[in-house]
Amino acid sequence: MSVTDSGRRHHSLWGDAFIRLRRNRLAITGGVIILLITILAVVYPFFSRYDFAYQDLNAILQGPSAEHLMGTDELGRDVFTRLVYGARTSLAVGIFTQLIVLLIGLPVGAVSGAKGGRTDNLIMRFVDVVYAFPDLLLIILLRSILGGSIYMIFLAIGLVSWVNVSRLVRGQVLALKQRDFVTAARLFGGTGFYINARHLLPNSLGPVIVAVTFNIPRAIFAEAALSYIGIGVKPPTPSWGAMIRDGFNVIFAAPHLILFPAIAIGILMLSFTFLGDGLRDALDPRLRR
Amino acid sequence: MNNHPLLDVRNLYTYFYTHDGIVKAVDGVSYNVKAGETIALVGESGCGKTVSALSVLRLIQDPPGKIVSGEIIFDGINLLSLSRGQINEIRGARIAMIFQEPLTALNPVLTVGSQIAGALERHRNMKGQVAIEEAVRLLTLVGIPQPDRRVKEYPHQFSGGMRQRAMIALAISCQPQLIIADEPTTVVDVTIQAQLLELIKGLTRELNTALVLITHNLGIVARYAHRVYVMYAGHIVEHGTSAEIYRNPLHPYTRGLLASVPRLDEPRKARLQSIEGQPPDLINPPKGCAFAPRCQLHVDVCLKEPPEITEISPGHFVACWLVNAQGKTTNEGK
Amino acid sequence: MTKYIIRRVFWLLLVLFVVSFITFSLMHLVPGGPWDREKTLAPQVVEALNKKYGLDKPFFVQFGNYLAGLLRGDLGVSYTYQDRGVTEIILGGLPKTATLGLIAFALAILIGVPFGMAAALKQNSIIDYCSVLFSTIFASIPGFVLGILMIIIFSVTLHWLPTGGWGDIRQIIMPSFALATLPAAFIARITRASTLEVLRQDYVRTAYAMGLKQRVILLRHVLRNSLIPVTTVAGPELAFLISGSFIIENLFSIPGIGRLFVNGVFARDYGLIMGSVLFYAFAVAVVNLVVDILYAVIDPRIRYS
Repeated sequence: MSVTDSGRRHHSLWGDAFIRLRRNRLAITGGVIILLITILAVVYPFFSRYDFAYQDLNAILQGPSAEHLMGTDELGRDVFTRLVYGARTSLAVGIFTQLIVLLIGLPVGAVSGAKGGRTDNLIMRFVDVVYAFPDLLLIILLRSILGGSIYMIFLAIGLVSWVNVSRLVRGQVLALKQRDFVTAARLFGGTGFYINARHLLPNSLGPVIVAVTFNIPRAIFAEAALSYIGIGVKPPTPSWGAMIRDGFNVIFAAPHLILFPAIAIGILMLSFTFLGDGLRDALDPRLRR
Repeated sequence: MNNHPLLDVRNLYTYFYTHDGIVKAVDGVSYNVKAGETIALVGESGCGKTVSALSVLRLIQDPPGKIVSGEIIFDGINLLSLSRGQINEIRGARIAMIFQEPLTALNPVLTVGSQIAGALERHRNMKGQVAIEEAVRLLTLVGIPQPDRRVKEYPHQFSGGMRQRAMIALAISCQPQLIIADEPTTVVDVTIQAQLLELIKGLTRELNTALVLITHNLGIVARYAHRVYVMYAGHIVEHGTSAEIYRNPLHPYTRGLLASVPRLDEPRKARLQSIEGQPPDLINPPKGCAFAPRCQLHVDVCLKEPPEITEISPGHFVACWLVNAQGKTTNEGK
Repeated sequence: MTKYIIRRVFWLLLVLFVVSFITFSLMHLVPGGPWDREKTLAPQVVEALNKKYGLDKPFFVQFGNYLAGLLRGDLGVSYTYQDRGVTEIILGGLPKTATLGLIAFALAILIGVPFGMAAALKQNSIIDYCSVLFSTIFASIPGFVLGILMIIIFSVTLHWLPTGGWGDIRQIIMPSFALATLPAAFIARITRASTLEVLRQDYVRTAYAMGLKQRVILLRHVLRNSLIPVTTVAGPELAFLISGSFIIENLFSIPGIGRLFVNGVFARDYGLIMGSVLFYAFAVAVVNLVVDILYAVIDPRIRYS
């Protein structure tokens, strides 16, 4: 009699993970919210009544109304429209910074782990230094030097955030290096690159996905912080951080101007975090049944 | 030794309620120990011997585990009916346990001495320097060299064998009436194994402590236990004096266990004998005898009805249809 | 133990050296230089300014001078505040930032650890569920969002607390809570996870098996072991508090280092930026060193390995 006769179902890692994820209500809520915000951000510009830069100086600092769902700001611009455009900025930052993170972090981590020895040591010391540093400071520093458009913001944030992914990948590679199937692959003549691509990277995918999902809210926050202190995206492109800064000046007269973007940041970051938590639990091999 | 058992486990059922189903770890087990006596609880991993021992001290994690029914009578008291406070008074002071893996069973951030002193403070009202001195005495008793230095050290600084000795010192520190030793020698190598068993045996004899020795190694049991209980898949399948079990094993499983132990006094065979197959899934245990699917000698009734444990010869009990049929008359029908 | 400390101190110095080199190089990569502001200055003026600040010398000479200055505690000159050096400026703002950071840190621990442990001890109860939910929520929302919400509720609507400034006790309440909430939630999660892990350990079972009292088991056996992972994150948390504080400082108009840093960034005062970054690096490194030592004190396995 063998174990599989007992009638318990077996799933692949991904299938099992998906089932567990589906059960996690918080994660699903987070995912749905992200989806809704994304759809709104993409679709709304085609339908909006107002341009985000249009100033109606007859209607400044108005509260929420039928005309303006979330009111108007100090220059008469529709807050809801600006909020949605701000979402575009935040989401763009969230996604594109991670591309840079993966582009740098994956190869660096994989090479460092696979090669070992002095290269590994050197790279990891550098990573440690960057990692020990409060990331927001470095981002601000880079941004103030680089200047430029939103693409430079992606770069500034990406250049600082890749370190935790590289650490992660390196750890995975080191652990997997020991495993027998890698030795077997080598015995069969696989070269370093082949082993990396075919065996090591797919196995690290899980934790990397989780790490990236947690990175996104940090990137969103970083962009908001940059805009808040004035070195973010250039106006009039809306950014939640800039809206908060501007709204602070009229906080007593029109608190909604600062309230909506603040809540928006909170909700978006929270959603990604719930999703990340859910993914991490779902992909945790120890919880497999 | 009088005839009243010090510890009497009667019809113990301990189940674990998991996502995949109910694991029937202990499914109707009864055994007893008299004062000063040593019994051995023998079986392979997963047969429920550890769970039954933990049940005695009510150390089963609830959830997911639960002692579903049965009685555990210790010195006249049913341990399962005691309150938490009351069972706590008994733990350590009257019944002590030695665990299998001393590295994890000892707190890594506290010195060995302070851990023993903690128990002394709790049950023997010894504090400060008095407790430390007693700890040193106990370490000497279990054969740890330089005990006054060792008492201030941390578990990770001890070798495996020494750690187990320290655990033994902890167990005897409050002079319990009964010690349960759960695979006390599995993690050490063979030479240390013998030393540790001699030590445990010597101490229990000296202090007149009853001992329940839990092991999967039938080979070591002969020297150290008066009586042996053989467990399989949550049931007791055979029990009797160790002399009788060795001389005349009746249950096919017991015979399989004994046959698989390599013996020096026999000619070298071509290969070691093992028992074919795997232990059953405890969530869906087989309907009849738990061992039947693996048993070379099984017949129809074995697969359908679980056998009752019956006394085949004085003091020798077996739960097997074939043995019942060959031996004395058994209870007819069910 | 001493070797451990020495190794850590050496590491600290190395890190600081690397950081200062990188920062210094970055500063010099900036196209245009520090004088590129709204108005273009006459070349002679630029030249004179460069000479005054020693910017005309070759790179490594400048770096050498800078390092020498660092060893003396001189963090360089500010290009906007002509009358004071960066060190002086930073020391001016330090007390406020440090006070805020320490109060927030203390709050984070005093709230986080007990909540985390309580949740672990009463696993799957209402307390646990709420604790997990709240700590997840608060660990994800940045401090300044909470700060804004607090200002709107307590200042704008209820008029209980002032919106900012420094000097009055009431002004510290909101910023320190805004700053402390995220670390508190994070610490609560870690404490809960590590306490759950510890409760599963064999040595806790041994303690129960020896009949020790519940309170003794918790305080002597569980607590210390549970705190080990918490200490590990305490360092980065404190570092986070030091850096995260500048946004809160800005929000609550607290005249600390953070505000100075932000103003400096905005004004492209590279002297101030560089000095501030180095100061932060130094503070973070020192904090991590202290945490590493604390770690060795709590866990004897580190001490005697």
